[in-house]
Amino acid sequence: MKNKMFDKKTLKPRKKRVCRFCSSGDIYIDFKDEKRLIRFLTEQGKIIPRRTSGNCARHQRQLARSIKRARLLALIPYVADIAR
Amino acid sequence: MALYESIIILDSLLTPEEINKIADRVKELIEGDQGKIVKIDKWGKRRLAYEIQKKQYGFYISFVFDGKNSTPIVLENEYNYNDKILRYLIYRFDKNKLKDWERQKELGDKKPPKDEDEIPVAEEIPVIDEIKESDIESEVEDEK
Repeated sequence: MKNKMFDKKTLKPRKKRVCRFCSSGDIYIDFKDEKRLIRFLTEQGKIIPRRTSGNCARHQRQLARSIKRARLLALIPYVADIAR
Repeated sequence: MALYESIIILDSLLTPEEINKIADRVKELIEGDQGKIVKIDKWGKRRLAYEIQKKQYGFYISFVFDGKNSTPIVLENEYNYNDKILRYLIYRFDKNKLKDWERQKELGDKKPPKDEDEIPVAEEIPVIDEIKESDIESEVEDEK
């Protein structure tokens, strides 16, 4: 319980994250606007996990589906290599 | 009967006539299977996020139709047979999409001006590039 409620290093109470889709009140996550989906991808093109993005379970499921559809249609890369 | 959307990516090197021919063919197939076309949307030529069959650009067309559950199979057969179609996606509207679809229908009259706003933004980008190029050229001349 302590870990959940307090930050380990600073011992300050943690802020509770709110799902962005819940707070914006959108019904449907469209796979056609890739600019919005890109915010939930890492630089490599992986889907950011729920524990990091703070999405609720329902919206994370919908988001994952729309990301996968966008990948199929070549709107978003499956793998984006970082140039070294 | 349910609402479906089918999006296809065509080779961008096709002529407009050939593109229309394929679009008409898909329309025919949908209507031949007792379906109704609700909307055809041509997104136009777009850059692909990754190469498909060694092509960097594709021409996107989306069909929204009201059809039987056998229609997607008929379409898939056609898409697999036609090698000018690089990729396709067919999906059935789920309840969230349906809600969104109906809401957009209600707002439909207000939407067109938004599209007009987008066009000038796209035009601005090349202008900035030209300025940059000319700046670089002038700098080079100064150095000389």
